[in-house]
Amino acid sequence: MDKSMDEKILHTAADWWTRLRDPNGAGATMEQWLEWTSADERHLEAFERVTELGNQLGTLDDATRQQFVREFARPGPVRRRWIPLAAAASAALALVGGYFAWNGFAANTAPQVYVNAVAQNRNITLPDGSTVALGGASTLTMRFSHGERHVELGGGEAFFQVVHNMQRPFVVTAGKVSIRDVGTAFDVRRTGQRVTIAVTQGRVQIADHGGAPGSNATGTGSLEAVAGQLVSYDPATSAMSIGSITPEQATAWRSDRLEFINEPLGVVIANVNRYSTRPVHIADADLETLTYTGTIKTGAIDSWLDALPQVFPLRVSENAGQVILANPERK
Amino acid sequence: MDRLGKAGDAGTDVAGSPAHAVQVAELFREHNRALIAFLHCRLNSQSDAQELAQEAYLRMLTLEHPEQVGSLRAYLFRIAANLAVDRLRMRKVRNDKVRDDMLIEQSTEDLHLAPVPERHVSTIEQWCELRRALRELPAKTSQAFVMHVIEGRDFNVVAQTMKLSERMVRYHVTNALAHCRTRVDELEMP
Repeated sequence: MDKSMDEKILHTAADWWTRLRDPNGAGATMEQWLEWTSADERHLEAFERVTELGNQLGTLDDATRQQFVREFARPGPVRRRWIPLAAAASAALALVGGYFAWNGFAANTAPQVYVNAVAQNRNITLPDGSTVALGGASTLTMRFSHGERHVELGGGEAFFQVVHNMQRPFVVTAGKVSIRDVGTAFDVRRTGQRVTIAVTQGRVQIADHGGAPGSNATGTGSLEAVAGQLVSYDPATSAMSIGSITPEQATAWRSDRLEFINEPLGVVIANVNRYSTRPVHIADADLETLTYTGTIKTGAIDSWLDALPQVFPLRVSENAGQVILANPERK
Repeated sequence: MDRLGKAGDAGTDVAGSPAHAVQVAELFREHNRALIAFLHCRLNSQSDAQELAQEAYLRMLTLEHPEQVGSLRAYLFRIAANLAVDRLRMRKVRNDKVRDDMLIEQSTEDLHLAPVPERHVSTIEQWCELRRALRELPAKTSQAFVMHVIEGRDFNVVAQTMKLSERMVRYHVTNALAHCRTRVDELEMP
């Protein structure tokens, strides 16, 4: 079928959709529409497909709808920026839970450090009964005090299942981002200063470094993410974006699969390196910004690397035990 | 002007006559798919569309003076349009009440979002793809689209908020809708 013809029909169908949506649409519109639908059988079919999409989008669940609304329907300087969600909610929480210092806590027990080797995953049970699955080449420092359970992800990835305790909040920091559980399970991945948080159960509060929940006077803010949401912090723009993720995707790495949704290739490779026996190096910086969505089996990284040139304009070579990704024209 | 004859009124020799029933059956055969599509477009619900289509045929069958109706087809779609307006009005009343109830609950209990039910990966991919698709469009285009299609605001409300004419809002929504449909199709059949 002629593609441009299909697109033309689709556009006309979308035009009819918006005209028929108007409850004040005149009878003449209807007659013209009926003429159009009977002129070619593809017309009604295209209209039905457009309607189906409109229906799906008009009946989204609350969380997904708000993601769209936040990103696209509230324009201005904050567009596509991390918008503090429900400052009032945070304030209410602070009242209920008692004020706690977001960063300025004093450790009164010796910190415990966990370091995983490349390709090593391990499960850790913390003194409070919370569990952590720590990914390959990942570092975790635990500092539990009387008033707070603080865990720092130095790098890599960890999945937390937190035993909730209002009086003793569980706070994970990863670079410039803090994640505070509100009774929950969530995954945190830190690649340099880039942090992604996937909530698989319950909800978490996420704050920029120095940003206390409920205060956005400093230009930072706090955001609440619920199960099914993926929050990514981009250090280049200090912005957070929100996407969707299933629990299976979020914790796939625990079953030896790395899942990426719309991540820069540089980030993907940094995480692949946490599992690869041979380090992978990106030689040309412009390759780092290519976006990748997909699954990588940690046991089959080599075959994934071999297939990369089919997806991206790059060349894979090996040099002194290192895998090099470079522009194809590079000699 | 579109008021219908009361259903079941006796006293005419045409209503319910076999000839009229045959005409309605013909309307059904020829235009049922379009009628459902039209109602689906208005109501955002396939099942409501089917229900109201049934209702519309029923009203056609019990029409008091079908011989006075110029075009039965036009009349059928007018009945359907009126039923759709009523249904949307009814929903709005119900939603307002639900929203009020929710506000009361929220203020006393919990301001947070309800947890999201687990969704199928393909749906999530589809929403990711749609967000990508919307990012490719001019800001006004995606804004108008999200406000009308996703938030369910009427064209005139969107027009006021965005300080545009309703015609421009429809223009943006049309463009975004066609663009998104194309992107989702590409995802389904690469």
